[in-house]
Amino acid sequence: MQFDGDVLTIGLDMSMEEIREFEQFVRPRLDYIETIEIEEGTHLRSSSLLSLLVSLKRTRPELGIPFLNQGLTASTAYGTLHWMCHD
Amino acid sequence: MTKQEQVKAIFIEEAGEIIEKLDIDILRFEENSTDFDLLNEIFRGVHTLKGNANAFGFTRLGEFVHHFEDVLDHYRSTKEDVEAHHLELFVGSVDVIKDVMTCELDVLPDLPEGYSECLAKIKVLIASKKNKPNLPPIEEAGELFSDLASEFGFEPQEKIEEAVEKSIQSHRKIQEDGLNLYKIDLTLDTDCYKRGFDHLLFLTLLGEKAKSIESFFDMKNVEPLARFVGDENAISNVSVIVLTPQTQEDIAENFEFLFDNEYTISLIDPVMAEMVIENVEVIVEKAETLERRKVEDRRGADRSSDTPAVSVTVPKSTIRIDTFKLDELFDSVGELVIAQNFIAQNEKIRVIEDESISRAIETLSKITKRIQDRVMSLRMVAIRDTFDKMKRVVRDTSKKTGKEVHLIVQGEETEIDKTMIDSLSDPMIHIIRNAIDHGLESDSAERILAGKSAEGTVTLRAYHKSGNIVISVSDDGRGINKEKVLQKAIERGVITGDEHLTDSQIFGLIMQPGFSTADTISDLSGRGVGLDVVKTSIEKLRGKIEIDSKEGVGTTLSMVLPLTLAIIDGMLVQTAGEIYIIPTLSVVESFRPEREIVHVLKEKGEFVSLRGQHIPVVRLSDVFELSTQRIAPWEGILVCVETEAGRIAIMVDELIGRQQVVIKTLGKSLARLKEITGGAILGNGDIALILNVDALRPLTEASNGGN
Repeated sequence: MQFDGDVLTIGLDMSMEEIREFEQFVRPRLDYIETIEIEEGTHLRSSSLLSLLVSLKRTRPELGIPFLNQGLTASTAYGTLHWMCHD
Repeated sequence: MTKQEQVKAIFIEEAGEIIEKLDIDILRFEENSTDFDLLNEIFRGVHTLKGNANAFGFTRLGEFVHHFEDVLDHYRSTKEDVEAHHLELFVGSVDVIKDVMTCELDVLPDLPEGYSECLAKIKVLIASKKNKPNLPPIEEAGELFSDLASEFGFEPQEKIEEAVEKSIQSHRKIQEDGLNLYKIDLTLDTDCYKRGFDHLLFLTLLGEKAKSIESFFDMKNVEPLARFVGDENAISNVSVIVLTPQTQEDIAENFEFLFDNEYTISLIDPVMAEMVIENVEVIVEKAETLERRKVEDRRGADRSSDTPAVSVTVPKSTIRIDTFKLDELFDSVGELVIAQNFIAQNEKIRVIEDESISRAIETLSKITKRIQDRVMSLRMVAIRDTFDKMKRVVRDTSKKTGKEVHLIVQGEETEIDKTMIDSLSDPMIHIIRNAIDHGLESDSAERILAGKSAEGTVTLRAYHKSGNIVISVSDDGRGINKEKVLQKAIERGVITGDEHLTDSQIFGLIMQPGFSTADTISDLSGRGVGLDVVKTSIEKLRGKIEIDSKEGVGTTLSMVLPLTLAIIDGMLVQTAGEIYIIPTLSVVESFRPEREIVHVLKEKGEFVSLRGQHIPVVRLSDVFELSTQRIAPWEGILVCVETEAGRIAIMVDELIGRQQVVIKTLGKSLARLKEITGGAILGNGDIALILNVDALRPLTEASNGGN
């Protein structure tokens, strides 16, 4: 996880523990973050991170999460994964 | 117990079952290494074990099983011949899996002996096999997934149902023969993460075998941060479309630790092209409809043979039930039988001369008997699995002793109470090891000299005999040397040498604690601590051991067990107005003695001479201090029973009859009476005590009676 100016870069391959640490980190700092970028070559390990990203976006709609906007991701392990936010 | 603990307990139980089955199947595969259906079955078991082990954090087990699975996968997909030394590695791997499981359960920090070596061998084997191009590289699979992602891409605004339907249609276009298309809906509970489950875990498991997999996460229930609970699942539904060669059963294995409400699997049947089946229940319903149609078609076929028959197999459903609940049910049925008997034998009811009442009582009796039989059958399981486990014991003991052994198994279908099965393994293992280690000749040369085949034979047999189950282990070895047994028994002070022992009593001596006639002690048997433990274990099951042996021909050790632990077949006797039950298993005979054969020996009590044997007489009225008129033995009845200490003759006033009774445990105060093992409620509501014949001892001071 890297915080450069107002861009926070995270890896998707966080364990459950790391996701909770990320949540603890981002909760008090959400207003200072403009964009959450994803490290290249990383793949989701837990649906919990996807939920957290959706929750962050719902809390602060102006927050940029390009990954979330894609609506899908693909991996050799779990194929193509789509998400629907209904927002 | 929390949900997580419940699920973990289920995992442990099922993992135990999988490992037990692996142990048996791997030996069957060793016998026939071209049976690739069996290899597939072994693979499925290992695959399930891997997924579940990792899900529950048993990573050491998970890692080992993962590599073992790779090896199995190679052979099952290439159908390559498995070399003998690799078969040995398979068998060894199952041993390591058993040991690692124990380490995981006991939270032991160290890995079991042989873990690293076996894992290294597996890795070397995989590496050597990977040089041969068999499976497509994973990059290809990656490309396939990416292509599908772009091909099947949809706008996020589309409704999920539409997107899922679009995915189904797109997958149909690429569906080839041998591939099945499924729609799986995951509705995991909010605590799924705490239980160690994650949507991605299941997608990854499905992806391992899938040709293509696409999933749709419905995020509508995800709350803003203020109400967001990080460790709770907020994803209401995930629809998964998967194209895979796996069967529905294989797919279901991935979800076996989820609750039933957390997933549904639907096969998208290519024949029913326009129908999207919503869940498994619908499939069953459809099968039932087709089955009905099949019956109608058959009827129609009588009129017109043109109508084709539709063949559908209705799925057989099974559920797991806690044995404790079964015991409770059985106990309740026991009460029902007692109540029914009470009604049937009640004098006030019997005097009513009304046909409808008599018929109702008769119907009640029939139904009660049927319920009792069915509930009994729920506890009964075939002994096959236990016998299968013994094949491994024979194999290992044969290798360890260097003796060639041929195992014959008979009566595997014989059913026995589940509670007893669990307690039978250890005694059987010991008896089999003993038979091979000490029963069979030292080597094939000795056997050939004795005019036998070079290969020894051990026969494992289960059968019914006089209302009991008999499990016997026979060997065609040396047989028991009676002289040697007697000599050893005298040396150890077990007997004085003055006794006139029957063959059966002499053979019985080998089950005395500390008794061993083995010249050498091995790590398999021969320490003299085994057979007495076997005897105790069998006696705890209210059974007994019989030994039959002929020198030079062989030995048969039979475990005679009651059909069930909940019911006892007993002989009802009466003394001083009280009814007692003697377990029929121990009864030898009953008779009214002639005056001439009854003797009183000073300070030794009363004896009856029967076929040259002096049997002590035990008066129940003395044992239980019942006030009654003291009569001579020839005025009463003697029931001769076999006990640990030899035969005794129990003196009673009257024999009532033989009856099966439901055993009831006694309260704490009566539990101290060692002469009683339990109680039973009789049909008329009376209570009878069940005698522990091994604890009955004659009183040495017989004051009256006898001559």
